[in-house]
Amino acid sequence: MSFEERLQLQSSTRTRVSKQVTGGKKTAKPAVKQQRNKKGPVEMSAKKPVPFLRQVVSVTKKIHRDPRFDDLSGEYKPEVFMKTYSFLDAIKKQEKEMIQKQLKKCRDAEQKEKLQQLLNRMTQQEQAQKKQQKQRERELSFKRRQRELAKQGKKPFFLKKSEKRKLELAEKYAELKRSGKLESFLSKKRKRNAIKDKRRLPSQKNL
Amino acid sequence: EKENAAFLRDPVGERLKEDVLEQKGRLQRLVAKEPPDPLSIRVLRGHQQPITCLVISPDDKFIFSAAKDGSVIKWDVESGKRLYVMPGGKKGTEGQHMGHTAQVLCMAISSDGKYLVTGDRNKLILVWEAATCKRLHTFTGHRDAVSGLSFQKGTHQLYSASHDRSVKVWNVAENAYVETLFGHQDVITGLDSLSRECCVTSGGRDGTVRVWKIPEESQLIFYGHQGSIDCIQLINEEHMVSGADDGSVALWGLTKKKPLALVRQSHGTQGESDLQQPYWVSAVAALRNSDLVATGSHSGSVKLWKCGEGFRKLEPLCDIPLVGFINSLKFSATGDFLVAGVGQEHRLGRWWRAKEAKNSICIIPLKRGAGAPSSGAADRAWPRELQELVH
Repeated sequence: MSFEERLQLQSSTRTRVSKQVTGGKKTAKPAVKQQRNKKGPVEMSAKKPVPFLRQVVSVTKKIHRDPRFDDLSGEYKPEVFMKTYSFLDAIKKQEKEMIQKQLKKCRDAEQKEKLQQLLNRMTQQEQAQKKQQKQRERELSFKRRQRELAKQGKKPFFLKKSEKRKLELAEKYAELKRSGKLESFLSKKRKRNAIKDKRRLPSQKNL
Repeated sequence: EKENAAFLRDPVGERLKEDVLEQKGRLQRLVAKEPPDPLSIRVLRGHQQPITCLVISPDDKFIFSAAKDGSVIKWDVESGKRLYVMPGGKKGTEGQHMGHTAQVLCMAISSDGKYLVTGDRNKLILVWEAATCKRLHTFTGHRDAVSGLSFQKGTHQLYSASHDRSVKVWNVAENAYVETLFGHQDVITGLDSLSRECCVTSGGRDGTVRVWKIPEESQLIFYGHQGSIDCIQLINEEHMVSGADDGSVALWGLTKKKPLALVRQSHGTQGESDLQQPYWVSAVAALRNSDLVATGSHSGSVKLWKCGEGFRKLEPLCDIPLVGFINSLKFSATGDFLVAGVGQEHRLGRWWRAKEAKNSICIIPLKRGAGAPSSGAADRAWPRELQELVH
């Protein structure tokens, strides 16, 4: 066989995949798409039998979206979220009252324990939310003050994280003082610190 | 000098030219018509049940009609007499009976006037000899009612369409089946063909009109109707007209997938004021190679339309009052008359019953317009003139 014939035979027997693998480049498209006039009728083969189940009315597929991961839902903005879902607070309050009533009525110890746990969870969630809210308010007021200062002409300054934490702590102490629990809080803290320090000291074993 | 005049006219050359143009689909006989005189409509009665289909023989001398009881009658156009009656048989007597035992849905006659074929709801296609009305052969093979039949002009090749969504090609001279073509998604309601080896079908609820190219084994698909497309006829090799059950009539060209012209609610609407339904178009007919189209429904009249320039418009011409369900319409080859098959019920079912109508065939003579060339006269006369030339 001449070289040409061999080449032809090779190209005809080789599959597209093998050509890609050996050649390394993308092979050309198998057939040139015929120039179809878009306004003209569709031309199809007349020999293929029509299947029994055939599309009579086109049914649109339902697109499933998860709003958590969808770009269409936008970015999470806490203020907007609070405003639109503020009705949930009322529902949560109602549910809490319901659970409290059930707790009073309940006799079964296990059930009582479960309900108590649930109630605790709810109150804690509430408190956490309130805390977050307060924090946001504080930041907002701080920003407002900064803006005013900047308007007045003074240079705006930005707090460091450690400074922010100090301020928070100061507020917390003030709050505790008001409610009168400052002493117990401080004693608990001292005990915890003592235990931690004891761990750091060299132990008897290492002597 | 008479000889010289005849020689100069060259009838053979003219006839050949006409043939070539017809083949190419570009011959146009622009014919404008005035409304015919309602008193001149001849009513031929003979069928007991509603007429479903009819054909006119190519020499315009005979009409064959079929009805829902399976009977087929051959009429003479001039005298209006029944020449042959092939009665329908009772259900279950297929073996013994010569004719049909179920509703005849479609008929076709070959262009040399030799063979007549009829298709019925019993999946059979019967081949008759047109002159003597003798049954020659039966074609079986379809799996549901046969709803469309048409000969390729100039040959004995037969195309048949059926409710089993297939189109079959047969050779009547050799009693042979040739091939089957698939593609429709719903029952095929109508079929027509001219001298090219291709046919056009209307697909009922799948909303498509398909042109089947037999030698290439491919189909061209056209969309555009909204209702179920019930009837279709070719105007020339390149254009066709179809009617749907939402009252719309559409003109199609082979190059565009949507109709070139669409007329909605062509026969108006029926019913009470808040529940208006358009009249279904149950039959369409077109005068070959001209611009005249006729549509029939049960609105009480047959409407004649004129196709505009390049078949881009469909303008109403006149109404011919005719009471009943117009189940079939056919123009004569020369355009001298229009035959309408009228029944008390729609040809495909029994949704309504028009009691005041009579199951009959109406022959409506058409007046010729001023600019119409009398090519009909030339057709009949040219053998004589050829003889003159020879002598």
